[in-house]
Amino acid sequence: MPYDDLRSFLDTLDKHGQLLRITEQVLPEPDLAAAANAAGRIGEGAPALYFDNVKGFTDARIAMNVHGSWRNHALALGLPPETSVREQVEEFARRWDAFPVAPERREDAPWRENTQQGADIDLFEVLPLFRLNDGDGGFYLDKAAVVSRDPRDPDHFGKQNVGTYRIEVIGRDRLAFQPVPMHDVAQHLHAAEELGEDLPIAITLGNDPVITIVAGMPMGYDQSEYEMAGALRGAPAPIATAPLTGFDVPWGSEVVIEGVVESRKRQIEGPFGEFTGHYSGGRRMPTIRIDRVSYRTDPVFESLYLGMPWTEVDYLVGPNTCVPLLKQLRAEFPEVQAVNAMYTHGLAVIVSTKKRYGGFAKAVGMRAMTTPHGLGYVTQVIVVDEDVDPFDLPQVMWAMSAKVNPQDDVIIVPNLSVMALAPAANTPGITSKMIIDATTPVAPDNRGHFDTPVRDLPETPEWTDRLRALLAAR
Amino acid sequence: MICPRCAHDTVDTVTTSPVPGVWDVLQCVRCLYMWRTTEPDRRTRREAYPVEFRMTQADIDAAPEVPVVPPLRVG
Repeated sequence: MPYDDLRSFLDTLDKHGQLLRITEQVLPEPDLAAAANAAGRIGEGAPALYFDNVKGFTDARIAMNVHGSWRNHALALGLPPETSVREQVEEFARRWDAFPVAPERREDAPWRENTQQGADIDLFEVLPLFRLNDGDGGFYLDKAAVVSRDPRDPDHFGKQNVGTYRIEVIGRDRLAFQPVPMHDVAQHLHAAEELGEDLPIAITLGNDPVITIVAGMPMGYDQSEYEMAGALRGAPAPIATAPLTGFDVPWGSEVVIEGVVESRKRQIEGPFGEFTGHYSGGRRMPTIRIDRVSYRTDPVFESLYLGMPWTEVDYLVGPNTCVPLLKQLRAEFPEVQAVNAMYTHGLAVIVSTKKRYGGFAKAVGMRAMTTPHGLGYVTQVIVVDEDVDPFDLPQVMWAMSAKVNPQDDVIIVPNLSVMALAPAANTPGITSKMIIDATTPVAPDNRGHFDTPVRDLPETPEWTDRLRALLAAR
Repeated sequence: MICPRCAHDTVDTVTTSPVPGVWDVLQCVRCLYMWRTTEPDRRTRREAYPVEFRMTQADIDAAPEVPVVPPLRVG
């Protein structure tokens, strides 16, 4: 049963014991962020957090860590909460094959209930804004699905982009935001600024959990996130027409902010503690003028804590980064078995593959770097054999320790592109990248002494069952 | 009141708490740093503000554009 809005998903989390309501009064800072930070430190199965008693506010409702555990991520996809990570990624990949599923237009969106326009706009009246990390330059909207269109092709539904970008509140009706050049909204802004035009934009907050997953998913430029949401939900995604921009926005959003990215203007922004586990800032970024705010009565403000992994963002952009890379690699190399791209949105990636012939695994590694997402990420690829599970890190470390001859199996390519937030790059945006080929060499790459591997005994599966039965009968 | 981050002496009040008198949200007009008056000293007081996050006019002037504004397309 797919969720059409955030509220119905919070109800489901509640029923499964995965929503913790904090009823005692807390300070907006540092309590809200520290609690969400702590959710990532208490081990597996952390719940979402819900606050409605925040000092100084009369009417605050704040949800955090909504995607912040594998249990919550499974529930977001409509799976049993105990579904393993690997099973979640495999199910995600299966559902991908239903893409595209056309959305369903419903014009009775609940966010039509309330409106602010023009001089009446005051974001602080609508949202209980607060700071996340000490060095952040201000209060951020960091879990929005941001909708924009290609000014050269505004009627193309697929080129309409739905993405998540960091957005700093710099005034009651003003925002600054970060369009990383590798991301689709940056292409839209580039085209508008070449023409000297503002770029209309719709920022939607508090969405159903699958919209948030597709908004953070590296998809093709002309692929529709709504059509992907339909595939992942197993039902059309409900959308509605935003009143000012006319853009297609989620039907179930808590808040829809519309305005323009002001053409050819930049203003100091940040810093902001980023998904890399480091701050980035001290840069002049584009600004947004808000012209209209639509919102549900009693809106729930959804925010996400991010910092040193693992935090909610790592769950949110784990499977949704693995699956596009898997599909793009398999399109040319069906030998690819699985991709684990869950580390810092795929800055490091592990790929398991069969080998067509000697040197093949290294080609797979190079292709991972040259996928659309790889151009901004994938600085390190570990390639393992088809019988190594890339989600089982002890197995991956065994492959690295036993199969790698560094002289022949570690390849470093200099001066490749990476998104500018990658902290290890000397020049932001340019880095070396590395392939570690931890596969068994095959002919004609005749190296090493791998012809007599120790395999599990033929009787082992039977003994596995016997041991389990004996343990269960104790 | 000066900005904890850049020490500029002009600070605006952006909003005040819905429960009167609990907190204000302030903003520096120069570096745009925004803070709530009830935040810890390390975010609100110049003398306690971490050195690594301080900002100067020179920092603002030297900040790179991201993304770079493209040339106007003529015709």
